[in-house]
Amino acid sequence: MTLKNLENQFEVLWPLGRKAVRARTAAARLPDLAGKTVGELWDYIFRGEIVYPMIREHLRARFPGIKFVDYSVFGNFHGAKSKEISSGLADQIRSHGCDAIISGIGA
Amino acid sequence: MKQAALVSRGLGVPLAIAEYPGAPMVDSDEELRAKVERNLLPAIIKGLTSVERPEPDKAPVEPEPGAVVFKGTLDEVEEYFHQQLWSDGLPVIPPTRERVDAFLNFTDRDPHEVIGTLPQEGREADILSIAVNGVMAGCRPEYMPLLVAIVEAISDPNFRIETAGSTPAWEALVIVSGPVIKDLDLNYGQGVMKVGRQANSSIGRFVRLFFRNLCGYRIPPGTGDKGSIGYTFNVALAEDEEWTRKIGWPTFAMDVGFKAGENVVTVQSVTTISPPTYSAGDTAVAHVQQFADVFGRVFSYLAHSGVKRGYWYPLIVIGPAIATVIAQQWSKDEVRRFLWEKMTMPASLMRHFCAQTAGQELDFSKLVKEGTLPDYYAASSDPDRPIPIIVKPEHIGLVVAGDPGRNQSRGYMSNNVQGTRTSRHVELPRDWERLLERERQKQSAPRAPI
Repeated sequence: MTLKNLENQFEVLWPLGRKAVRARTAAARLPDLAGKTVGELWDYIFRGEIVYPMIREHLRARFPGIKFVDYSVFGNFHGAKSKEISSGLADQIRSHGCDAIISGIGA
Repeated sequence: MKQAALVSRGLGVPLAIAEYPGAPMVDSDEELRAKVERNLLPAIIKGLTSVERPEPDKAPVEPEPGAVVFKGTLDEVEEYFHQQLWSDGLPVIPPTRERVDAFLNFTDRDPHEVIGTLPQEGREADILSIAVNGVMAGCRPEYMPLLVAIVEAISDPNFRIETAGSTPAWEALVIVSGPVIKDLDLNYGQGVMKVGRQANSSIGRFVRLFFRNLCGYRIPPGTGDKGSIGYTFNVALAEDEEWTRKIGWPTFAMDVGFKAGENVVTVQSVTTISPPTYSAGDTAVAHVQQFADVFGRVFSYLAHSGVKRGYWYPLIVIGPAIATVIAQQWSKDEVRRFLWEKMTMPASLMRHFCAQTAGQELDFSKLVKEGTLPDYYAASSDPDRPIPIIVKPEHIGLVVAGDPGRNQSRGYMSNNVQGTRTSRHVELPRDWERLLERERQKQSAPRAPI
């Protein structure tokens, strides 16, 4: 008999919890952004004031008629008013007719 | 970026993710532009236009709560838990059914009662999961009512547990009040914040394990915790209520709205700890001025992150001997008022620290205008005007604890509104006294000498 067999055996329980989130399918993508409206969400950190204008410039050059709803319209979803802004975001996005959203940046 | 994928899975929402390589705060404008063009833009365009929709995550089938997931020797269990990333790197007590049931005996609640669904993995925090992680952390069964109250506190949306994986790497601090301190043998005296007393240490460890296992905040090789450097977990802090009453001050639990003698846990984030701070003299002002001088300097660096959101929670642990001197002359509210008035810094320096952190402009006038900050933050246009580092006096927490034989205090800083100070009543089981007595008898049973 080996020493291992003399040791106690432990049956141990799973330490996590049940996942309660139902996986959803993504909305259909937009093969062509020409004439579409893209909303911007920004948490006002990590140099988005440089990044977002670059994104706009490149997308405008590639997709004629593309429109943007500037991040300032939605406000800082990670700032002092984060709860109020986040809870109203879906309605805001709908009311501005956004076809797609770019959200940034980091944490 | 692994955290973004984890959050996406936790929300059940498949997202297209564009990654900026490296740290944008240290890149030149040219490097930043080059990385945006080379890395971000192609990924953004692909994410927006790809005809293939991101598919819902095909998560592997997981065990049911309460299921036996492994059988083996102690060494094999430890190895298995390490491999699964279910431990914090230290050995855990094997959560056998017998041990878990002993914890469940200390609550009247159904093991399958769900307290909340926690970010960022979207898992249900139920009573059973509290017991299992309590066993693993080395808690005693009688700590269970406290553990449940802690999970109720951190599940409150106001606590913002979804922020616990942020880069400052804050850790939760549990503050315990009420008769349960003595019932459970929590240390509130000398060495109160050191690892060493079973209740304080294991309850602190439980919180860290719960954040890992139920929320998914794991450092590499795990994902989800983006803490850049970090520090270890905090042991639970118990207040010296007897001393506090003796000097005529309300307890911390009373300060946060509970009745005298009520069992309460409070949880808040801590991201910065002051040096051990000595103060001398027989006047209140001598000690509280020292707090302002030392804690004011320590807190001033990160104060911007709370000020820009309108609040944050400093906590001061005052040595009992010092509290005695102060209480002879000042109420707790007078201490808070003095600290709020004296702990200031130049507005320009706070703006500088804010910009260095994440490039954000701190516009006091705008924050006052939108109602986030009181008027005094924009009372002058002098860029170097002194401004309070604590937004309102009532945000300051004061706890009497530590060595009564030394003149030392210490300051703890929350990570802005993340881990907002949140309190819960501790619900004891109906037959608490009998259960506790039975457990004590087991613990004091004579052991055969070697």
